[in-house]
Amino acid sequence: MSDYDISDNEADYYDSDEMMEDYQNDDDQDEDDMEMDDYNDDFRISAGSKQKSYEVDYKSLSQSSVEKTMKEDVDHICGIFGVEPAIASLLLRHADWNKEPLIERYMENATKVLVDAGVAIPEPVAEPTPVRTHHSVDKLSTGSASRRSTRSSSKLLSSLTSPTRSSAQKSSFSSPSSSSSSISASKSRTKDKLSEEPEQKSFTCPICFDDSPSLKPLSLICGHPACSGCWNAYTVSKIRDEAEHCIRCMTEGCAIVAPDDFIHDILLSDAAAPPDSNPDDNQTAWVRFQELLVRSFVGANPKLKFCPYPGCTNTVSCPAAASKSVLTTMVPIVSCGAKGIPKDASAAAASSSSSSGVTTVTTTPPSSLYDKEHVFCFGCPIESDHRPVVCAVARLWLKKCEDDSETANWIKSNTKECSQCQSTIEKNGGCNHMTCKKCKYEFCWVCMGPWSEHGTAWYSCNRYDEKGGVEARDAQSRSRASLERYLHYYNRWANHEQSAKLSIELYAKTEKKMEDMQITSSLTWIEVQFMRKAVEVVERCRSTLKWTYAMAYYLAKGNEKDLFEDNQRDLEKAVEDLSELLESPIESENIPVLRQKVTDKTVYVQKRNEIVLEDTATGFQDGRWRWNVSVDGFEEPPEELMVN
Amino acid sequence: MDARLRRVNKEIADCKNDRTSNITLELIDNSPFHLKGSFPGPEGTPYQGGLFEVDIVIPDSYPFQPVKMKFITKVYHPNVSSASGAICLDILKDAWSPVLTLKSTLISLQSLLCSPEPNDPQDAEVAKHYTTSKGSFDETARYWTQIYAGGPGTKEVKGLRGVKDEVAIAGLEKAHVDQFEGLGFPRNKVIDVLRRLNYRGANVAQISEDRVVEELLKS
Repeated sequence: MSDYDISDNEADYYDSDEMMEDYQNDDDQDEDDMEMDDYNDDFRISAGSKQKSYEVDYKSLSQSSVEKTMKEDVDHICGIFGVEPAIASLLLRHADWNKEPLIERYMENATKVLVDAGVAIPEPVAEPTPVRTHHSVDKLSTGSASRRSTRSSSKLLSSLTSPTRSSAQKSSFSSPSSSSSSISASKSRTKDKLSEEPEQKSFTCPICFDDSPSLKPLSLICGHPACSGCWNAYTVSKIRDEAEHCIRCMTEGCAIVAPDDFIHDILLSDAAAPPDSNPDDNQTAWVRFQELLVRSFVGANPKLKFCPYPGCTNTVSCPAAASKSVLTTMVPIVSCGAKGIPKDASAAAASSSSSSGVTTVTTTPPSSLYDKEHVFCFGCPIESDHRPVVCAVARLWLKKCEDDSETANWIKSNTKECSQCQSTIEKNGGCNHMTCKKCKYEFCWVCMGPWSEHGTAWYSCNRYDEKGGVEARDAQSRSRASLERYLHYYNRWANHEQSAKLSIELYAKTEKKMEDMQITSSLTWIEVQFMRKAVEVVERCRSTLKWTYAMAYYLAKGNEKDLFEDNQRDLEKAVEDLSELLESPIESENIPVLRQKVTDKTVYVQKRNEIVLEDTATGFQDGRWRWNVSVDGFEEPPEELMVN
Repeated sequence: MDARLRRVNKEIADCKNDRTSNITLELIDNSPFHLKGSFPGPEGTPYQGGLFEVDIVIPDSYPFQPVKMKFITKVYHPNVSSASGAICLDILKDAWSPVLTLKSTLISLQSLLCSPEPNDPQDAEVAKHYTTSKGSFDETARYWTQIYAGGPGTKEVKGLRGVKDEVAIAGLEKAHVDQFEGLGFPRNKVIDVLRRLNYRGANVAQISEDRVVEELLKS
């Protein structure tokens, strides 16, 4: 837009300079606040009052509290730029919620920022000077009405902003022009006009070609009209199908973005939303839109992460793990505080067609252990606790287990390729005289050379000791050894994962038994709870153990690794003992003894688990661990430690 | 009436009434949401003289989501898949706007034929051909226009050979294909490998014969 003016700009500049200082102070204060909050936070898992070295400070935020933080940012920008909240929100979204660069760019060239963000119409290429003065004069008047008429005289809006527009409709889209604004350059632009064509000229929607007289043309500040039905369908489609929070004008090449209040009105207000649109769809789209905004805000802030569990809308704030570089010294496992998959989310997915109010029966077992807390890693996409191993190593391991490199490894160790047709052949017995099933090529399994060179009478390969043959055999045995090493760790890893699942299943049965016992014997509810606690501990420790195998696979040989494996062995032994106890038959007479044993063992196991976690975590902080492969963020290990 | 149906009907009617653009729209089956569009190849390009047909599927959320279009006629063009006819064009994806129409989209396709974007290719092999030797590319594109889009010279080509010239379709030199075929490899395999290696123009000097033979043995 042309109506931004230099004198204003200057005044504004000084104003906001002060604001910037304030803002920085604010920021410091915010951080202090956050730490204070963390201290009192209910969501912390830490049992003791003292922070463990393997734990990280974090805070769980609900969607509404993130919205509050967003609003603070928006208000802050409003204060500095003197624009309306809807505009400030669009500017921030365009700048990826990065306030400082936005403020800087705005101070440099406000018009450009406004145009880039889709808030203002780009100026015509050559603007005659008289118009500029006209605009600066206009700026002095505060009323937005006069501003709008100014623009409409110079832009293509004339018919849309014609004075025949009824005031009722006007108010449905433009909030009553709010007070004072020294810099209302963009102020008036927030007003989205809902206006009727003069009666005599009929309006045909350029999108759906409807021309019924009741049709209301609707446009953003760019003035490209469409009927409310099309705007509604377009908005819903953008939000629902494309997960887009930046809803542009429908006209090709027009970059104007619809502000939040426009989207709200087109979806929800009685005046603007088309009567034939589906109110449920509209409501869903609006809720989704709010969520998308929060997601964009959270996604732009490295201190925040959206909870990855389905249906969950919480966010976790973890300033300590905001930079990637700290991920070599810590494992930022956090929890958003919520548990399980929200009933309404799963139920909605399961029975969206069933009428509301019907109580849905959940198919998951009622055992509370399935109601898992939303634990995830702040630093990487793994949606579970991968302590004690750091993100980079955990990712390496998962990738290794996932991709078929090991299948290839197996093929390499156990098969050879026909040297003529390259079919993969596994030798499953018999002599060295091979005949390829596919191409009928006859060759020697040992040297892979053609059989014809071996003579017919003699079934032994006289070329066995040739250099090429030896090399091939070496390569094959190396590959076999590496496979065995991998399988050693993988089997133990998989075993702990499997055992954790089994112990939960076992517990489900035990729980039932205990409840029966509670009824038949004199035991109280609290007295039968020891099993539950023990199963939880076993499950947690098996998760630790599982990841220690991933870690050990990549740890370079040496004293550090030996110590690590000692700790691992002690924990493993303790966990297996406790697991065994849990499987012992429960009779009412042996319960007191069993309880004592299980409780003691549980405490011990917990202790051992803590030792492993603590020691590994301090090891990362001190940079004690050395790897046998190159790991992101760590020093390249010396050649002699590397393992293929 | 359903807004989508009303709009599509109007678009079809508009297209019928407009005789200047030479763009046609017709139904493929009984559904108004599955159409066949066609336009003449733009003048001054290797596509001149051909008639290009496009399969058009109109999604439920049209016009708020883009139409789905692909070429029925085989086209030799960096932004069109030579195998499937899939088109790489921004307005068919994120740059779609509800004010665009079937006609304007077909016109955009027509202008895509005028101005290929080899840096954002749909068909990497064709794009390589385009960037390494434009002259040879034009020749191949013209040949495709002749045999698939009914371009000028159709009769001569068909009359002369009776069959389609696989070497010309692949945009290769007959001498090159003959050379490797002479080594005892099947002709279609040679064409396949040479096309994949982009054995054309200045590139020929870059690729050793051994490399070609190696690829021929592999496939």
